[in-house]
Amino acid sequence: MDQRAILDHQFTVAAYAITWAIQLGYLAWLGLRWRAQKRDAARSHCDPR
Amino acid sequence: MKKLTFALCAAVTAALMVWGFYQAIYVAPDEQTMHEVQRIFYYHVPSAMVSFLFFAISLAGSIGFLSFRRNHLDLAQASDAWALAGAEVGVVFCTVVLITGPLWGRRAWGIWWTWDARLTTTLVLWLIYVSYLLLRRFAAGPQMQTYAAVLGIFGALDVPIVYMSNRWWRTQHPAPVFGGGEDSGIKDPAMLAAFGWNVLAWLAWGLLILALRYHVERQQQKYAAQEAQDALEV
Repeated sequence: MDQRAILDHQFTVAAYAITWAIQLGYLAWLGLRWRAQKRDAARSHCDPR
Repeated sequence: MKKLTFALCAAVTAALMVWGFYQAIYVAPDEQTMHEVQRIFYYHVPSAMVSFLFFAISLAGSIGFLSFRRNHLDLAQASDAWALAGAEVGVVFCTVVLITGPLWGRRAWGIWWTWDARLTTTLVLWLIYVSYLLLRRFAAGPQMQTYAAVLGIFGALDVPIVYMSNRWWRTQHPAPVFGGGEDSGIKDPAMLAAFGWNVLAWLAWGLLILALRYHVERQQQKYAAQEAQDALEV
């Protein structure tokens, strides 16, 4: 593999990895938010006021 | 039943993502001038297409909110949730476009960024929708949803400008792959198939997270309404 091919490969891997990191990161954030929402809802139902 | 449908959709999406990845990396041939780095195309272009679709959903939601807010409160709230979900997922995809683009450009053109029409209008689009999300996050009061809807409608006006930018102006960015004249289009059937599978895969993924985001926002609206009701009763 010449230098150009190695760099091409590294840039391609970086693009794919960053894409997945962004998408999965967003999905994880959404999941955490959903869980927190459920927890808050359960707590407010238990709250006797 | 809902959970089963969601699990089925998630399984189909995961299969599509794996198949799309396989097609892009192992099946599609190397492009003659750009070689391996051209494979970024299979993630970059579908992400841009899907982001446009979600900004269109946000536009429809914003128009729906402004139309229904006086007479049909629940419909207006649902429209607002679609507007927010569309904008947020659209920003995620647009972020992917703005990161994968410079990575590709650095190898293909030798530069990370240039202020040409396609790149600049895409950055402006991203900034408009980030400001939309910031407005929703930090603004308070009963008018917030209305302001956000108006901003969402104006933001969507940039989408056709981004789409047409490399048709209207000479740009560093390549000419349109589809609908750009006689020479446009992907000639190699394996490349076309890889591209098509990735469009389908990213569309399925985007719709799945859009549905999730919409559900979370609707729940949030219901809890907020319930809290307001409880506060009135105390």
